[in-house]
Amino acid sequence: MKRLVESSGVEVAFREVDVVTTGTFGAMCSSGAIINVGHSDPPIKIEKAWINDVPICHPGAAVDLYIGATSMSERQRLEYGGGHVIEDLVSGKEVELKATAYGTDCYPRTQVKTRLTKDDLNQFYLLNFRNCYQRYNCAVNGSDETIYTYMGKLLPRLRNATFSGAGELNPLMNDPDYETIGIGTRIFLGGSQGYVISEGTQHDPQNSFGTIMVRGDAKQMSPEFLRGASFTGYGNTLYVGLGIPIPILNEGLAKKVAIRDEKIFTNVVDYSVPRKDRPKLAQVSYKELKSGAITVNDRKIKVSSLSSLKTARKIAGTLKSWIANGEFFLTSPVERLPVDSVFKSMRQTEGTPFVVSVMQKPVTCYADEDIRAIAERIVTRSVNHIIVVDEDEKLGGIVTSWDITRAMAEGKTALADIMTRRVVTAKPDEPLDAASRRMAQHNISALPVIDAKRKVLGIVTAEDVSKLLGR
Amino acid sequence: MVKILIKLSEELVAKPTTAEIILEHKVPINIITAHVTSKGGDYLVDIPDESLETVVTAFRKKGAMVTLPKLIEIDKDKCFNCGACVSICPVEAITVAEDKSVNFDQEKCVGSTCSACVEACPARAIKSVKQNNHELENNTH
Ligand code: SF4
Ligand code: SF4
Repeated sequence: MKRLVESSGVEVAFREVDVVTTGTFGAMCSSGAIINVGHSDPPIKIEKAWINDVPICHPGAAVDLYIGATSMSERQRLEYGGGHVIEDLVSGKEVELKATAYGTDCYPRTQVKTRLTKDDLNQFYLLNFRNCYQRYNCAVNGSDETIYTYMGKLLPRLRNATFSGAGELNPLMNDPDYETIGIGTRIFLGGSQGYVISEGTQHDPQNSFGTIMVRGDAKQMSPEFLRGASFTGYGNTLYVGLGIPIPILNEGLAKKVAIRDEKIFTNVVDYSVPRKDRPKLAQVSYKELKSGAITVNDRKIKVSSLSSLKTARKIAGTLKSWIANGEFFLTSPVERLPVDSVFKSMRQTEGTPFVVSVMQKPVTCYADEDIRAIAERIVTRSVNHIIVVDEDEKLGGIVTSWDITRAMAEGKTALADIMTRRVVTAKPDEPLDAASRRMAQHNISALPVIDAKRKVLGIVTAEDVSKLLGR
Repeated sequence: MVKILIKLSEELVAKPTTAEIILEHKVPINIITAHVTSKGGDYLVDIPDESLETVVTAFRKKGAMVTLPKLIEIDKDKCFNCGACVSICPVEAITVAEDKSVNFDQEKCVGSTCSACVEACPARAIKSVKQNNHELENNTH
């Protein structure tokens, strides 16, 4: 279709093509499944439940459960989660359900343990509250350390980039004004047929970040299009295969579905900055992203897709053949999706603490000082960390009371021999949570606070952080 | 070809150890990666299957440690062709084909000296596996 519009024009394409099929297959964290496990004898009103060790929500009456895709196994943590439970059930595997309850006169049972397959479930519906993001950020890491995010493993100093989404194949990209996609639209979902039931949470159509909420009978689905996944150092998720047929109702739609990857842009975002609004380093098109390399500040960076374009194409192809064979009928929506909703940030009634709010005046020394003098300073100022600075007050290193004690025991006198030169630091305008996390990761108890020129402004200690954050 | 990992001591790094073995035994040794300083280092090298014993013995005779690095394998049934591993690979051993399938070239991969892609795979389809060469395994451990 896209080629036909380019070669013969919108009019011809509109006359010749009835339906365009789309597809996407990617990590969709806001997914899950509603199951009803039936009543036991004596009956139980489930309070807490686990399937294969993964905590399962119990949002309803006695035996209705919701398997959230990102819920983590208590034993295997990141390696197995709700997404894997859904995949295992879909594949026909037996899973173990454990549940506990407080017991009532009508539901006296307090514990149950059993094994189930999808055939034992009364209902098993995929119910995803946010799927199919129209487009998404391209992620990079500008810091000096590898980071692990929901956008995958990001190598330091912009050594790689990742992106998500199918670009021109994405369903919502092809119907950006929601003329044909609405409540009740029948879709390809997880290898079977499902429906759009609403706009998705965080639906932000005006910024081309539209989303949809979908539902489908998981008993009919296939693990080829529904896969549990683990992002190292981040968490679990579910890869969902979703495709939508778009009937070409008018010339306008014929023009819209002709959208090409080179016309779909997204931002390259630095995920090493732990804030809601992260720095945007560049704009790139999906064409560049799919080519395997993008250019940021004249530098070529290798880029990986996190969603499968191969499976996305297969979904669009499968949907096409279903329609051609009369196995899938298009529906017109019973209600339109909103096109003007906005995605608000959280209203925060309490201020967020930053490093600057707990940082203390540093106790410093120079690299050529005698260890004895520093030991004295540790005692008189009653601190555990002394920051080593040069004559411009710039950071040179750090020594702890423990370093000094050991040096004295070993008979060392030169500070240069014992100070730590590779120092983990903090910035004054950094959220305290980020600094606290870095201390925990490096197993250290203080961070010198420095400015952009590495001038020492202060010190933040784990003790001060825990006083403020209460941990 | 077989990949072996050779560890050289400070003393061996100072001498043209590898060059000597190549000349003496007339075997091609292809250095894939090398991390060497004056204090010692290690090389990952590719050698033809038939020269394996000769090369291993020769390096050991000179006092080097020879081990068998693990290789990387991608389980095609588990892999869903996302491509998350592609940009992680420093030697372009993983590439995306025209039809968007993700392909892996074991010849290019430097195996357990890298392993960077293993944890990048959300499908946990990439595994570090022992090289299937019983002869050398017996010899090297
Ligand atoms: S182990 Fe390293 S070299 Fe081999 S494929 Fe993975 S990333 Fe590439
Ligand atoms: S990251 Fe894993 S699933 Fe994705 S292409 Fe690589 S091997 Fe396949």
